[in-house]
Amino acid sequence: MITAQSLLQAALNGLILGMIYVAIAIGLTIIFGMLRLVNFAHGAFYGIGAYVGLVVAKKAGFGAALIVAPLAVALFALALDRIVLRRFYQKEPTAQILLTFGIALMVEEALRMIFGGTTQQYPLPSWLGGSIAMAGLQYPAYHIYLAAAIALVVVAVWLFIRRTNYGLLVRAGIRDRTMVQLLGGNVRLASSIIFALGAALAGLVGVAASPIYSIDPGTGFNFLIPSFVVVVIGGLGSFWGAVLGGIIVGELVSITQLVFPPGADVIIYVVMALVLLFRPQGLLGETEVIKG
Amino acid sequence: MKDLRFYLLTALGLAVFPFVFHLPLINGYGGLAIQILIVSIATIGFNLLLGYAGLLSYGHAAFYGAGSYAAALALLRVFPQVHSFALALFFGIIVATLAAAIIGALVVRLYGIYFALLTVAFAQMIYFIVFQWRDVTRGDDGLQGIAAPMLNFGFAKLDLATTLPAFPLGPFGDLSDVKYWYIFVAIILILVLAFVRTLNRSQFGEVLGAIRENEERSVFVGFDPRRYKYAAFVISGALCGLSGALRVLYEGSTGTDSLTIDQSGNFVIYTVVGGVQTLFGPVVGTGLIMWLQNVISAKTEAWRLIEGAIFVAVIIFLPSGIIGTFAKKTFSLGKVLRTK
Repeated sequence: MITAQSLLQAALNGLILGMIYVAIAIGLTIIFGMLRLVNFAHGAFYGIGAYVGLVVAKKAGFGAALIVAPLAVALFALALDRIVLRRFYQKEPTAQILLTFGIALMVEEALRMIFGGTTQQYPLPSWLGGSIAMAGLQYPAYHIYLAAAIALVVVAVWLFIRRTNYGLLVRAGIRDRTMVQLLGGNVRLASSIIFALGAALAGLVGVAASPIYSIDPGTGFNFLIPSFVVVVIGGLGSFWGAVLGGIIVGELVSITQLVFPPGADVIIYVVMALVLLFRPQGLLGETEVIKG
Repeated sequence: MKDLRFYLLTALGLAVFPFVFHLPLINGYGGLAIQILIVSIATIGFNLLLGYAGLLSYGHAAFYGAGSYAAALALLRVFPQVHSFALALFFGIIVATLAAAIIGALVVRLYGIYFALLTVAFAQMIYFIVFQWRDVTRGDDGLQGIAAPMLNFGFAKLDLATTLPAFPLGPFGDLSDVKYWYIFVAIILILVLAFVRTLNRSQFGEVLGAIRENEERSVFVGFDPRRYKYAAFVISGALCGLSGALRVLYEGSTGTDSLTIDQSGNFVIYTVVGGVQTLFGPVVGTGLIMWLQNVISAKTEAWRLIEGAIFVAVIIFLPSGIIGTFAKKTFSLGKVLRTK
């Protein structure tokens, strides 16, 4: 029975799920935009963040986990970038997909060996618990905080890219890498910053989303594939495309779950295929991308 | 002469393989040898696309799974009263080919990451449909207990599960360690290798290579790249279907694992480790990884980590894979092992 209330509930769930996709997809899309790197290891950043966060949260509390985990993931990403990925920047996307896929496999298995394969529950501190009443609906307060926090983070990242000198360097680098280098701009530094920032975002969501979705070694990869759907729908490399795509995908999954449960997993792939076939550059993507 | 040498050496290699494989140090067994050969056929099909057409598909499990489910359903539901080996095999190939023909028509217009992601999208659709459509597919229970029909030659019937007559071979075990299944699959594998080899040496293969290296130029010379890529896609899907159908007939079961993104990833790993753009690379890669998995996963839980490390190491240090690297360095064997 679909009522106005269940529909509202589904829409809210979809928004929360969508915001989590947004935070992961923003990282994917800015990394692609800046480094032209197709990062299949992005789900691994989520996984590392979630597990590091779990350890820290048990020792020093959830608040500490929210700070330490993204930093740890950013460091891991920087090391990865310096040691391995750098050699693959100029290679064709196929080689990048293969390499980052291999890295994702290794990280997932390393997490499984260290923490075991079982699903772990995440401790949620009491100050974030409780529920909020709205329109006759009792909704977990943490879900709302999470969505609001991600919205703030998205705006912060946007301001960083739009309003700071580093951001300027990043945007210039996206436009014309060689020219920026010739003018003395440090594109390598800008690339590293963007890669670490995107990774840290995934790590942060890994901590923040885990009280809702719990965590096992495969969770990161399970979030990665829908996040690619998000990025494709929004437009690879497009910032607001990732935001729009994330919310669309979250709502699609959640509403379908209510209306026609067996279709909930399939629907996003159908929409993704339709977008790729009829508007391959995505909803908000500008550049012609069918080629190359 | 070169053709004769190719067939003789391949046949010899396949004839010796199960016995060498049986040596105590290698610790393989007959069933694994058969599985390796069956999966190799799918990997060869995958490489036709990645190696020769230069298209990375992350959804080839769709065709492997389609072939296996179609063959299983042919025996269980579609033609249960006929219960024919050949019919199940044929049905598996047809359904996989049809799936590849439909999906291929849509995906070949895209490139690189977009191509890869669209194949993922279609494979995931098929996976979730099979997963949810419990009435027909039994969902994640899979289709179990499928009795394989005997192979019917018209004048005689052969149960492939019987073993060869006993004949001691010293350290190499016994002739009866090998089932007729192995011989049957080995013959199919030789036919598949010969087919792909001929294809790559034909004008079709030449044009495909030209498209891979420089698509724009191939257009200027007057070829339609999409048609060639489409043909490669469909043939590739058909070979995966053949492999999936053989799996069902041999193992007597199939499940949603045959359709997962992990399965698609396996084809990628096997091919890259063995060597893209080589004829035998997919076979060697499949054999090596499946064997290692069997040996190592019995001893430690770290198998998947080791597999990932091997894969990453090959991409960074041996981008042409084992056979690709090997074939460049040696001349006599290399010429046989390389496609061209």
